[in-house]
Amino acid sequence: MIRFILTRLLRAFVTIVLVVTFAFVVLRLSGDPATIILGPEAPPEAIAAFRASWGLDQPVMVQYVQYFAAIFQGDLGMSMRDGRPAFDLVMERIPATLALTIPALFLKLALGVPAGVYAALHQGTAFDRTVMVAAVMGFAVPSFVLALGLVLVFAVNLGWLPSGGRDTVWHAILPIITLGLGGAAALARFTRSAMLEVLGQPYIRTASSKGLAWAVVVRSHALPNAAIPTVTLIGFLVGSLIAGAIVVESVFSWPGVGRLMVVAVANRDLAVVQCILLLVATTMVTSNLIVDLLYGALDPRLRHGARAAA
Amino acid sequence: MTDIATATPAPALRLPRMPWYVALGMGWIIFVLAVALLADVITPYVFTAMDLKYRLVPPFETWAHPLGTDELGRDVLSRLIVSIRVSLLIAFGATVISAVLGTTLGFLAAHFRGIVEQAVLMLADFQAALPFLILALSVLAFFGNSLPLLIGLMGLYGWERYARIARGLAISASAQGYATAITQLGATPQRVYLRHILPNIASTLIVSMTLIFPEVILLESGLSFLGLGVQPPMTSLGNMVGYGREYITRAAWIMLCPATVIVLTTLAVSLVGDWLRDRLDPTLG
Repeated sequence: MIRFILTRLLRAFVTIVLVVTFAFVVLRLSGDPATIILGPEAPPEAIAAFRASWGLDQPVMVQYVQYFAAIFQGDLGMSMRDGRPAFDLVMERIPATLALTIPALFLKLALGVPAGVYAALHQGTAFDRTVMVAAVMGFAVPSFVLALGLVLVFAVNLGWLPSGGRDTVWHAILPIITLGLGGAAALARFTRSAMLEVLGQPYIRTASSKGLAWAVVVRSHALPNAAIPTVTLIGFLVGSLIAGAIVVESVFSWPGVGRLMVVAVANRDLAVVQCILLLVATTMVTSNLIVDLLYGALDPRLRHGARAAA
Repeated sequence: MTDIATATPAPALRLPRMPWYVALGMGWIIFVLAVALLADVITPYVFTAMDLKYRLVPPFETWAHPLGTDELGRDVLSRLIVSIRVSLLIAFGATVISAVLGTTLGFLAAHFRGIVEQAVLMLADFQAALPFLILALSVLAFFGNSLPLLIGLMGLYGWERYARIARGLAISASAQGYATAITQLGATPQRVYLRHILPNIASTLIVSMTLIFPEVILLESGLSFLGLGVQPPMTSLGNMVGYGREYITRAAWIMLCPATVIVLTTLAVSLVGDWLRDRLDPTLG
C-alpha cells in the first residue's frame, strides 16, 4: 500500500514539473514580453530596464532554475498590467468561480447519476432512450450555444432572469444551469454504461439466482461496483472546478478565474496566465491523486495489481 | 477474391443497414462536405462584402439575402458557407495531424518499449491531466494567431488517445503469427508497421477519429467564440456566434444560423461515429 501511494505521489510530482516546464517554455520563449507590454515604439533603455527587472536578460537555463525556485517559494510574479501579484489577482477570483462550479457540480451529480442508474436498470424503455438522446444532445450542443439559447429564452424573450453580471443571486442561475446540464448529460451516459457493464457480470446473476431481492442485488452488488469508474469521472469534474467555466463565465460576464484567463490571454499578461495554468494543473493532479488513492481503498484488485506492476 | 465476388451475384451493391438517424447524420455530413468543397461557387456574395443600405435584414425577408444580413450588411448565408469551409478545414487538418502523430508515437512505444514507451506514456498522462482549453489558450496567446498555428495546435488534441490505442494494438499484433512471419522474412520495421499492422488496426483508429472529430469542431468553435481562435476578417462557425452574440436582442439569426450548423454537425458525426464503433469495434470506450 505504501509503495502504491509513493508511485502515485511521484507520478503527480512529475506531472507538475512537466506543467511548470511547459509553462516556462511556452510563456517565456514565444514572444518578447518587454515589447508586448511597453509597445514596439518604447525606447531601448526602457526595454532593457524592463528586461532586467523581469530577469529576461539572463540565459535561458538560469531563467528556468530561477523560475522553479520562485514558484516553489510561492512567488508567481506580478501581473504586468496592474503591477499586483498575479497570485492575489487569481485568488480574488476563485470564490466567484466556485460560486458557479460547486452548485453546478451538485446539479450534475443530482441529475446525471440517478438518470444513468435508472436508465441502465430499465434498458430499452422510453426513459432510457430519452436519457440517451439527452446525453447525445448534451455532447453536441457546445456550452456557449446552450448559454446563448438560455439567454435568448429566459433573459431576452421572457425577461425572467438577467443575462450577465454578478449583482444578485438571480445572476448565477443561468450560468449554473448551463454548466450543470452539459455535465449531467455526460455523467448520465457514463454512469449508464458503467452500470450496464456491471449488470452483465456473472456475480449479479449468481446473487439474483440465489434468491436475493432485486433491490438488494442492485444496492449491495451492482451500485458499489458501478461506482468505481464513475468516481474517476467525478474526480475529473472536481479537478475542473476552476477551469471548467472559462466559456460560460465569458458568456455571462461573470468575474471568475475563467474570465480572468481569457482577458489575461488577450492582454498577454504572462504572470496571470502562468498562475492560472499552474493552479489548474495542481487542482487537476491533486484530484486525480485522490481518486487514485480512493480507488486503491475501494478496489483491492487495483492496489495489488499496482504493486505487482510497480 | 474476384472469382468469389463474381460467382455470388446479389450482395455487391447492398448498402449496410443503418437506423434512420444514422442515415440522416450521413446525409448531413455529405451536405456540409459538399458545401465546404463548393464554397467558392455557391456563395452568393463575397463573404466580407458590406452593403450598408441593407443592415440587419431578417431571414426570409428578401431573396437577395435568404438568411438575412449582419450589422454591416454582410450576407449571412455567404458567411455561413465560408465558415463551414474554414471550420471543417481546421477540424479535418487537426484530426489527421493528431491521428498521425498519436499513431506514430504509439508504434514507436510498442516497437522500442523501455524508455521510449515510458516517455510516450508520461507525455500522454501529462496531456490527459491538463484541460486542453487551458493549454490551447496559453499557446495561442503567446505565439500569436495564424491559421496554420491554429490547425497545428488543434492537431495536438486527442493524440494521446490514438497513441494509447495504437500502442496497445501494435503490441498485441506483433505477438501474432503474421507479424512474426513477416519480420522473419526480413521486412524492415517500417514495412511491418505500415503495411501489415496498420491495415489491421485501421478500423479502430478510424472509429477513434470519428469520435474525436466532433470534439475538435467544438474546441475550435469555443476558441473562436472567445475571440482567440480564427481572427477576422477570416470567419468560422464559432467566430460568427461570438460576434453575433452582441446582436442577440435585435438580430438573433446572425448567431442562430452558425450555432445550428455546429450542433447538427457534431451531432451527425457523433451519431455516425457511435454507430461505426458499435459495428466495427465495440471494445472502444
